[in-house]
Amino acid sequence: MRDLSVVRFVVRERIIILLFVLIIIMFVIGEIVSKGFISYDHVGAVLRTASFLGIVSIGQTIAILTAGIDLSVGSLITMGNVFTCMFINGVNANTLWAIIVIVLLGVLFGFCNGLGIAYLKISPLVMTLAIGSLVTGITLIFSQGAPKGLASPVLRYVGVGSLFNIFPVIILVWIIMSAVFIFLLRATTFGRKIYYIGANENAAFLSGVKTNIVKALAYAISGASATFTGALMAGYTHTAFLGIGNEYILWSIAAVVIGGTALTGGKGGYLGTIAGSIILVLLESILTVMKMPEAGRRIANGVIILILISIYFSGKRQRM
Amino acid sequence: MTERQRNIRLYIPVYSIFIAIYIFAGILEPSFFTWRNNVNLFTRITPLIFAGMAQTFVILTGGIDLSIGSIIGLTNVIAASLPFLNTPLNVAMWIFIPPVIGLAIGLINGVIISKGGFPPLIVTLATGAIWQGITLYIMPIPGGAISLSIARTVTGFILKMIPTPLVIFLVAVFIFKYILKRTAFGRSIYALGGNETIAYESGIPCTRVKIWVYGVSGLLGAFAGMFLSSWMFSDILNSIAVAVIAGTSLAGGRGGIVGIIGGAYIFHLINNILNLLAISTFYQFVAKGLVLILALAITSSGATLNIRGLIRRYILPKNKSTEET
Repeated sequence: MRDLSVVRFVVRERIIILLFVLIIIMFVIGEIVSKGFISYDHVGAVLRTASFLGIVSIGQTIAILTAGIDLSVGSLITMGNVFTCMFINGVNANTLWAIIVIVLLGVLFGFCNGLGIAYLKISPLVMTLAIGSLVTGITLIFSQGAPKGLASPVLRYVGVGSLFNIFPVIILVWIIMSAVFIFLLRATTFGRKIYYIGANENAAFLSGVKTNIVKALAYAISGASATFTGALMAGYTHTAFLGIGNEYILWSIAAVVIGGTALTGGKGGYLGTIAGSIILVLLESILTVMKMPEAGRRIANGVIILILISIYFSGKRQRM
Repeated sequence: MTERQRNIRLYIPVYSIFIAIYIFAGILEPSFFTWRNNVNLFTRITPLIFAGMAQTFVILTGGIDLSIGSIIGLTNVIAASLPFLNTPLNVAMWIFIPPVIGLAIGLINGVIISKGGFPPLIVTLATGAIWQGITLYIMPIPGGAISLSIARTVTGFILKMIPTPLVIFLVAVFIFKYILKRTAFGRSIYALGGNETIAYESGIPCTRVKIWVYGVSGLLGAFAGMFLSSWMFSDILNSIAVAVIAGTSLAGGRGGIVGIIGGAYIFHLINNILNLLAISTFYQFVAKGLVLILALAITSSGATLNIRGLIRRYILPKNKSTEET
């Protein structure tokens, strides 16, 4: 009997198992290309970079599970990054309230996204684009185009420090958040409602799910995870950068899709996204180690994403 | 409702917003109504119109093309790196090579999406990265130039009176509207976007239509690239916004080309007005976001119905609604 349950587990989670096997293969390829690729330090560095992408992708996963998408994450990361440095200004005592305010700002703008999408029935793609523009503007107004301030030592420790000089703190943060959100999606009614809405919104509504509220909350979570990532990045970079979040719009979507979450919603989960984030960062790392120029890196990225999705979707038909 | 009535309904919101914004701009700055300023505007919005049309074709089938920005960039770079001469051969090359390349790239997108059955969003995201990489190989730093005489012809006047860009985009909109509304290919696009299964079972060659739709998108993207000196990557999202403001539903199957001119104008005029008001660029992002949300709320037909629903539910007295039921 026990063997059967193992088989069942493997069949159910085959995509995720496949992805983690792929990660191991990629590490091996990296080691072949350049000695020291799987040294403790380098693996730590890869996972550290992946954790930023992973934390933004929490929100993106939830938004995509409701059959939506969140393009405002880039602007929200930048806002989180810039405002964190401004609020904290290098003082430890400011860290806690600054991060709370930043997360609340993310909730606020995410909720705006959700309201437009759920109540005004504006398509998520353009609604989040519009809010993204709004957020960029607000960031620029308050920073006057020249971000000031510094991260505090505590935040620095979270961003680049290691627990007992062994385990990077940021990875610990990622693991805790992952556990919370995987639990939220798999074991709470809220999580199940998100899946129902993504699978069939009308059916969910008729079954008594308050679809509009749940959708608005999903985008609020997405906004919060984006601004929180921005705050963590401040710990990593020490100072703020305008445009730090731009690349994460498309990266986070790619991580979610590589992780096996369907863009049509209702299928997938955060565990796959974790693998997706690590794969994307690993790929970038391998290409850098191979001394590929920028142009070649982009082409290789595109080709590999295409190969990955062709593995998933072969035989299945999907719109958008 | 006849097709004509439905079309008029579709275009009323976008053109009324356009006229309102246009008049507002004129009140702020009387010289806005001058012929010279308008000629300038025609030149400025031409790339946006082409990009919006490209996106409309794809969105009508229920897909999306995120690689349009990269296609525009690539064809722009190719146009700029062609030999710098005024011979007829060179002019012919300039006219034919970028569109052919755009079409070819679009067809590649289409083949991957429809033969593989993959989601367009992620495919065009990936291919977009590839085209961008190729662009960087061709021209790692900005440079090159197109022949001045070509530039003058394209942005100049026909018979010293009619601005060429105006003619070009009007003709293009007319042609592609004709393709969309009056040809079997165009009707299949609507059918496909409305319901793919039914379209397939009615004998529409869905795979082929989809491939060509992305081809058309690449071709139009190339035209936009030829008109453009610089195009930022983020502007792919603008092309989507223009298409949606013009009344095309992102769910596919509803919308059209004619609203595009209004949509492109709205998008461009927002910036223009904010400049006239001497508002700092920082505030322009905020204003653009707000106006975009407003325009979207008005143009997306689902929204108006929903506002009515909201009023009925929350603003009208409670007992009245119970009487109804």
